[in-house]
Amino acid sequence: MSKIFSTEADPIVSLTKVSKRFATGTLALDEVDLVVPRGQLLSLIGQSGSGKSTLLRHINGLHKPTGGEVLVMGCNVGDAKSKELRQIRKNIGFVFQQFGLVGRATCLENVLTGALGRLAGPRYGLVSYPKALRREAFEHLERVGLDSQAFQRADTLSGGQMQRVAIARSLMQQPVMLLADEPVASLDPESSAQVLELLLKISIEEKMTVIVTLHQVELAIDWANRIVGLRDGKVVLDRSAIGLTQEDVMDVYRRADRSNDLAKQEAEFPKSVASLSS
Amino acid sequence: MLSAPRSTKRLKLGGVFFVFVAATIWSWLYIKMTFSTLFGGFDDLWNLLQYMFPPRFDQMGQVIDATIETLWMALIGTTASVILSIPLAFGAARNTTPNAATFAVCRAIITLARAVPTLIIAAIFVLAVGIGPLGGILALALHSIGMIGKLYTEAIESATEAPRDAVSSTGASKWQTILATIVPQATPTFIGAALYRLDINVRESAVLGWVGAGGIGFVIQTALRGLDYSRALAAVSVIFVVITLIEISSNRLRASIIGEQSAVITKNQKARKKSTERDHKILLKAVTLRKLNLPWTSERRLRISAVLFYAGLLILALVTIKIPIISSFGYLDEIFKTSADLFPPDFNTARPEIIRGILETIAIGFVATILGLLIALPLALLAARNIVVNRVIYSGTRLFMLAFRGIPELIVAVLFVSAMGLGPVPGTLALTLGTAFFMAKLIADTLEEVAPEPRDAIFATGATRSQEFFAAVLPQAMPNLVSQTLYLLDVNLRSSTVLGIVGGGGIGFLLLSALRVIEYQTVGAILILTFVVVYAIELLGSWVRKLVE
Repeated sequence: MSKIFSTEADPIVSLTKVSKRFATGTLALDEVDLVVPRGQLLSLIGQSGSGKSTLLRHINGLHKPTGGEVLVMGCNVGDAKSKELRQIRKNIGFVFQQFGLVGRATCLENVLTGALGRLAGPRYGLVSYPKALRREAFEHLERVGLDSQAFQRADTLSGGQMQRVAIARSLMQQPVMLLADEPVASLDPESSAQVLELLLKISIEEKMTVIVTLHQVELAIDWANRIVGLRDGKVVLDRSAIGLTQEDVMDVYRRADRSNDLAKQEAEFPKSVASLSS
Repeated sequence: MLSAPRSTKRLKLGGVFFVFVAATIWSWLYIKMTFSTLFGGFDDLWNLLQYMFPPRFDQMGQVIDATIETLWMALIGTTASVILSIPLAFGAARNTTPNAATFAVCRAIITLARAVPTLIIAAIFVLAVGIGPLGGILALALHSIGMIGKLYTEAIESATEAPRDAVSSTGASKWQTILATIVPQATPTFIGAALYRLDINVRESAVLGWVGAGGIGFVIQTALRGLDYSRALAAVSVIFVVITLIEISSNRLRASIIGEQSAVITKNQKARKKSTERDHKILLKAVTLRKLNLPWTSERRLRISAVLFYAGLLILALVTIKIPIISSFGYLDEIFKTSADLFPPDFNTARPEIIRGILETIAIGFVATILGLLIALPLALLAARNIVVNRVIYSGTRLFMLAFRGIPELIVAVLFVSAMGLGPVPGTLALTLGTAFFMAKLIADTLEEVAPEPRDAIFATGATRSQEFFAAVLPQAMPNLVSQTLYLLDVNLRSSTVLGIVGGGGIGFLLLSALRVIEYQTVGAILILTFVVVYAIELLGSWVRKLVE
């Protein structure tokens, strides 16, 4: 670890001309360049299908690029072996839209599963984890403000609370970086703000890099340091969130093929009416 | 175009229906069933029961000992089966299997185990390990893998994937992830399925005595052979009460495990509120004191006491049942040797008898299913609370059905054979009675699940109750009704393979005779054919089910 992070100035993530063409032929990423320094809260915005999730998944090696180079903590993810890849994933916390908690297990147990990468052998139930780890898990729950729910089943929580438990689980990994894929997409506005505030707090206190995809522009402007906009797999916006207005980002949401789509719909409309009346 | 178009699906369904009807008519003729023997049979049974009455409850010590042995056999057999099923299920589940070869082998073992009835496995094992409960326990353990393994596999496969992705992205290894995410999700089903099977295994072990594999069956058989009907009735009624009690408590227990947390701890609202408040305090205290162990909430206390109770029972069972558990591993050798003797199967020596036996088995299965359905439908209408809206009628019918489900069908078969003599007809009537009440419960449950909105809509047009039933209830229930009938056919066919062991017709009689005269290779041939028939019906059933859905 210490070898990889020699100086603070080192970028944690650096993408050079990264392209991704899926087996289906879709070009999801088109020569993306992106350098993310330590401690930044970066928000990827864009419409669904713009490539933001794909980009996120390139960083922890869930996808491999078909062109260009992805360097994460000095390691080339593109040609990393599975052992190296696992090492990278251990150092990256990933937060999912659907939380991924085990509903029947208590919150504390759910947080503890984040430590599995540090442990050898399978574990089942609270007592199978060392006391020191249980204490640590408690601290993480306290940090996300849910210590009083430690012994409650995860499925008794609200969506926002579940996402905070999921974040506590990621912290349990002792990660160098957090990736969050649409973490607030299924939450109400108040819970969304709580979750994003928590991510910001973590990024400041731990000097942790946090990359989060969002589809609500207002949230991105409110909470992120830097905003990167993607459209059709290309970076069309990359600037500090300070002073950014809604109008500045509108361009990200103007889809190139929108007019075509409308024309297509109009062309098909009479046909569908005809099929209904027959 | 005022009739439904003749799609291939409809043509196929029509074909299936035609084949089913034709097969039933052929079956009816093949086993020489007539309406007079049908009603005469019930008459004969009634006369026998009157003759048996009142039961003689002397020598109760022997009956109670045998009943306890029956229970212990079921408990040990089910436990062993669970232990064997868990690794098999992880190998057979698509989302956990290590490789294609393991997957295929585990699936094959589970399917094979289900296809050979417990009583037949027991008959073979008794030859290997001798008379006594050990053969029965091993047979229960082996056959139950078929159901437990299948249900466990499904539980593992139906676990949601999201937690798994999340935990594996933290760098956890494959088995760490499985244990942390899939096992907690599957545990309630694991326990529920084991309890359900325990319930079935108590019934099964009650008849294992017929082939010398221990339990109360032997007591009943001896009493019947000595024409000591009153004593037989006493033994039957004891096991009947025990089975019903176990079914009720296992249902209750399963509801509380699978249902919402701490659902059925107590029905008393006040007591429940009090215990929730106490739990809340305990949790709060644990959190403020930074306790690192799960606090003793009422739910946890209940869970731990259930585990301790089960462990205590199991130890008691292992201590009291008179089999040397450790040295019984030595018998594995014998079992392998006997099983090897079944090969190569010999289809020729008894070819005509085998063919007749198999056909008779199939015929019994079909006739019993149709007759069972005819009894089950009216009962189900009475028992569904949304059809006959009278509390007394539906709860009365439910209770009546529950009571009759308690008698294992082989014991019913024994009574019918005693009343009517040997042959396929008493066997068919026994299967009919034995499965009709089970079927009635399934159908009643289906009817209760029907959505109420379409019914209201039909009523609002001014339809009568019977019009409404045919227009709104039946179409909704139809797919389930069809698949339940197929399921019943499947169950009846499996049961009819062993009816012969108590003289109720079918292939079982030939199997038992072949075992007695040590024609092992003929036994092998019969086993293979039985497996083929049972498996073919199962495949056919799942094909038709897909067609209906």
